[in-house]
Amino acid sequence: MSGAIRAPRRVLVLGADGFIGRRVLEALGGCDWAHPIAAGRRIAAQPAADGEAERIRLDATDEQALVKVLRNVDAVVNCVAGKAQTIIDNGHALFAAAENSGRPRIVHLSTMSVYGSATGVVDETSRLHGDLGAYCVAKLTAEYNALHYRRSVILRPGCVYGPGSPQWSGRIAGWLRAGRIGDLGIAGDGWSNLVHVDDVVQAVLRSLTREVEGEIFNLAQPSPPTWNEYFLRYGKALGCVPVQRISARKLKLETRLLAPPLKVAERLGRRFGLHDLPDAIPSSLLGLFRQEIRLDVRKASERLGMRWTPLKQGIEQTAAWYRTGEREARAIEGRIA
Amino acid sequence: MLDSTELGDRRDLSADVCIVGAGAAGISMALALADSGLEVLLLESGGLDTEADTQALYAGSVADPRMHSPPDRYRQRRFGGSTTIWGGRCMPFDAIDFEARDYLPHSGWPIGLDALLPYYPEANKLVEAGEYAYQAGNAFTRKLAPMMRGFTSEDFSADTLERFSCPTDFGRRYAHKLRAAQRVRVLLHANVTELHLGESGHMVEAATVRNLAGQHLRVSARWFVLASGGLEVARLLLASRSQDPRGIGNAHDVVGRYYMCHIAGTIGTLSFDGPDAQVWHGYDVADDGTYCRRRLALKADAQRRLGIGNFIARLHHPRITDPAHRTGILSLLFLARAFIPYEYGKRLHGEEGASFGTWMQHCRNVLMDAFGTAGFLWHWLRDRTLAERKFPSIIVHPRVPRYSLDFHAEQEPNPESRVTLGEEVDALGMPRLVVDWRYTHGDVETVRRSLLLLARDIQHSGIGRFDYDPNSVEFEMTRYGAYGGHHIGTTRMGTDPRSSVVDADCRVHGVDNLYIASAAVFPTSSQANPTLTVVALALRLANHLKTQARRVVPLFPNEVQRSGPRPQGESPAPADTMRAVS
Ligand SMILES: Cc1cc2nc3c(=O)[nH]c(=O)nc-3n(C[C@H](O)[C@H](O)[C@H](O)COP(=O)(O)OP(=O)(O)OC[C@H]3O[C@@H](n4cnc5c(N)ncnc54)[C@H](O)[C@@H]3O)c2cc1C
Repeated sequence: MSGAIRAPRRVLVLGADGFIGRRVLEALGGCDWAHPIAAGRRIAAQPAADGEAERIRLDATDEQALVKVLRNVDAVVNCVAGKAQTIIDNGHALFAAAENSGRPRIVHLSTMSVYGSATGVVDETSRLHGDLGAYCVAKLTAEYNALHYRRSVILRPGCVYGPGSPQWSGRIAGWLRAGRIGDLGIAGDGWSNLVHVDDVVQAVLRSLTREVEGEIFNLAQPSPPTWNEYFLRYGKALGCVPVQRISARKLKLETRLLAPPLKVAERLGRRFGLHDLPDAIPSSLLGLFRQEIRLDVRKASERLGMRWTPLKQGIEQTAAWYRTGEREARAIEGRIA
Repeated sequence: MLDSTELGDRRDLSADVCIVGAGAAGISMALALADSGLEVLLLESGGLDTEADTQALYAGSVADPRMHSPPDRYRQRRFGGSTTIWGGRCMPFDAIDFEARDYLPHSGWPIGLDALLPYYPEANKLVEAGEYAYQAGNAFTRKLAPMMRGFTSEDFSADTLERFSCPTDFGRRYAHKLRAAQRVRVLLHANVTELHLGESGHMVEAATVRNLAGQHLRVSARWFVLASGGLEVARLLLASRSQDPRGIGNAHDVVGRYYMCHIAGTIGTLSFDGPDAQVWHGYDVADDGTYCRRRLALKADAQRRLGIGNFIARLHHPRITDPAHRTGILSLLFLARAFIPYEYGKRLHGEEGASFGTWMQHCRNVLMDAFGTAGFLWHWLRDRTLAERKFPSIIVHPRVPRYSLDFHAEQEPNPESRVTLGEEVDALGMPRLVVDWRYTHGDVETVRRSLLLLARDIQHSGIGRFDYDPNSVEFEMTRYGAYGGHHIGTTRMGTDPRSSVVDADCRVHGVDNLYIASAAVFPTSSQANPTLTVVALALRLANHLKTQARRVVPLFPNEVQRSGPRPQGESPAPADTMRAVS
C-alpha cells in the first residue's frame, strides 16, 4: 500500500557528481524534510552551509568507508554510474555495508538494460536477461544485491533525457546536428522508453517518502515515441532540419568504418585533454534503436503517483538547454580567439 | 513468416482474421491488428522477391491493348505487393470526392471524408510521407517561393501539396514488425484460389489456398479480408463460383464493373513572360525530410459550377520524345528508355516511331549539354539511387521558362468499364482476367474544361500563356491508355446491393464475415493517387474488426469460446499445427 511514512532526514546521495545524482541532490535540497549529503569519489568534503548540501568524499565501492557513513543516515539514493566493474563493486559494497549499519532505506537506480534483449511489453515481473554485454551484466548483478536487501526500492528507468543528459540529449543533439542520425527507417523502429530526468527525480523522492520498500518500478514515458519519432521531434526542436533519412548503408559505414577510429581517437583525446572529438556511434546503440521493447510503467504511475513530463515540453526544454550551451560555447571560443 | 511449401499438402489452418494479400492494404491491416489479441493469418501469393512463375499468375488479357497495359504489368505479385515498385506520391481525398454529385453519374460514397480523417495521419506514417499536412501553408513554417509568381485564380489553388513516400516498400519496411508480432503469421506462396460459403450462404467458411508446388491448404477464419489488389479482389470473388455461378457478392452483376484508373496526360506549352517571371515547379523538402510538391488543384466550387470531375495539374518538363527541348538529360532518358522498367518507361516511347534523325538530335542534345547531363547524373546517383528517401522524379529547370502541363484527373464511374473472367486459366486453375477499361465523354469534358479554365486564369493573371490544341485533349489523355497501377472501383462501396458490392464498413453485402481492403471499394476515383486512402481504409477496417471482436457475439455458434480476442499472454487455441513448423 502506498501512503506517507515518516520522512527520512539524512539522505545520502551516492554518485552525487553525476548527471542524475546532481539533480536528485538539488531536488532534495528543496525539500524541507531532507538533509541531503552529497557523496562521490571526486567530491571535496565540505560541511553544509548556505543552503548548500553537506559534501563528503567517498568511494562507493569501499565497504568499510560506506559502513562508517551509513551509520549516520536514514536513507540512501544510489546513483553510482561508471564502468561495469565499478557498478558490480558498488552493488556488493553498498548493500553489504547497509546490512551492517542501521539498514537505511536504499533507493537503487538500476536500468531497463536488465531486461537485456527482451522485446514486447515488459513489466517489473518480466524475466531479466544479461545478454547485452558487460554493462547489462553489471547492472543485473547490482540489482541482485539490491533485491536481497529488504529495504531497497529499485527504479529501472528507460533512457533518461532532459537538460544536462549527456547520453540521450547532448550526444544525440550532436549527431543530429552533424546529420549522422535522423530518420533511421527500420533501424529506428524500437521504442525509445525515454524518461525525463525530472520524472526520475520525482520517482526518487516518492520512493523515499512512500511505503514502497521491496518494490521495483519501471520508469518511462507511458506512450514513448519510437527512436525515429524522437529524433524527428528533437531534430525539429533543435532546428536541425530537414531531418534526414539515414540509409542502412550509411549506418553500416558509421558503425563499421567510422566507429573504431573514433573510439581510438576518443581514448587518445582523453589522455591528451582533447574533449571536442566526435563521438562514435557504437553498434550496440544501433541495436537499442531497433529493439522493440516497451516498458510498462503502470505500476509507477499508480504506486508512486507519477505525473510524467509531456514529451513535447521535455523536448522543447531540452532543445533550449542545448542551444544555450552551444551559444555559451561559441561565446567562450570567441573570447579565446 | 512461413512458406506454404513447408507445411505439406492438405493441411487445415485457422485464424481469427485471414487477410488475403500482403501489399499496402494487407500489411497495414496486419500491423494494426497485431496487438488486438486476435490471431491474424496473412496469406501472400508471392515470396520475398519477384518470381516469374508467380508473377505470371497475374497475366490476363485486355480488350484494347492501346487502352490498358497487360494485367501482369503495373502490379507485383510478391510480398509487399505493388509497393515494391510504386512511385510514392501521396495525398488524401478531397471532401467533394465523397459527395453524390448529380453531374457525375454513379458518384457518392456512403461515408464522408470525416470517416477517414482519424486514420489518415497514421496512414501517412505507414507510407512514410511525414507529417499529415497537405497545404503548403500548414506543412511549412518557412515561406516558400511561389509556384508561379503573380498567378491568381478563383478556381485553382496553388497551395495543395503532394507528399512523397520514400517510396516505402511495405514488405521490406515492415517484415520485421510482422515477424515480431506474436499473433500474426505470414504465409508466403499461399495463393487463395477460391472462397467457400457455408450452407447459409452468408458466411465464408473456408478459403482454398494453393501453391505452385501443387499443394493445397484449407483456411478457416472468423473473418476474411481480401486485400489482393484492385483487380484481383474482383477476380477472386468472380472465381469463387462453386456455390453460385455468378461468384460471391455478385448477385446483381456489379463485381468487376465501374473499373476506374485515372485520366492523365501531358499537354501544351506554358510560357511565362518577362524578365521577372518566377516559377518553381520542383520539390520543397519539409522539416521532416519529406519531398513535397505543389500543384494546381481545381477547387470544389469550380468543379460543381462546371459539372466536371476532380482535376489537378503540375508544371512539367517538355515532352521527352521530342528533341526540340535540347535538354541533355531528357534526351539521355529517351536514348536509355530500353533500360528503364516498363512501368516508368512507357511514357518515354511515344506514339510516333522515332526516326533516325530524331535519334541523332537526341544524341546531339546529350553531347551539347554534357555538363548539365553530368550534373544531373550526379544528383540522381546521390539523391535517388543511393538515397533511402528518394528524390521522387526528374525535375528539369529549363533555361527559358517554358513547361508542359501534366494533368491527373478523376475518371467517372462507368458500369461498362469492367473486368471479367476469361476462358483461360492460370497455372493454379484459376480463370484469368479480361480487362475492358473504358472512358467516357464526361472524362474528356473534365480535362477539356479544366484546361480551358486554367489557360484563361493564366492569361488573366498576366504572367504568361498556356498554349495547347483543344482538339488534342482526348488524344493526349488516352495517348498511353489508362493511367497504370491505380485499380479502382471493381467492388465499389454503397448502400444498395444492386449498385455496389460492399457496405460502408467494407463488408461484402450479404456475407457476414467477408471484407475488402483495397481501392476496389472506392466508388469514385478522385484526382488523388489511391494508396494513402487504401491504407486509411485498411486501418479503419482493422478498427472495425477490433470493435466486432469486442462484442462477444459468437459468429460460429458452436465456437463460443473463440468469439472474443484472447487476452494477451494466454496461449492460442491449438487450432492448427503451424506453430510446430514455425
Ligand atoms: C509503377 C507504379 C507506380 C505507382 N505509383 C503510385 C503512387 O505514386 N501513388 C499511389 O498512391 N499509388 C501508386 N501506385 C499504386 C500502388 O502501388 C497501389 O495503390 C498499392 O500497392 C495498392 O495496395 P494493395 O495492398 O491494395 O495491393 P497490392 O500492393 O497490389 O498488393 C496485393 C497483394 O496481394 C497479393 N495477392 C494477389 N492475389 C493473391 C491471391 N490470390 N492470394 C494471395 N495473395 C494474393 C499480391 O501478391 C500482393 O502482394 C503505383 C503502382 C505502380 C505499379
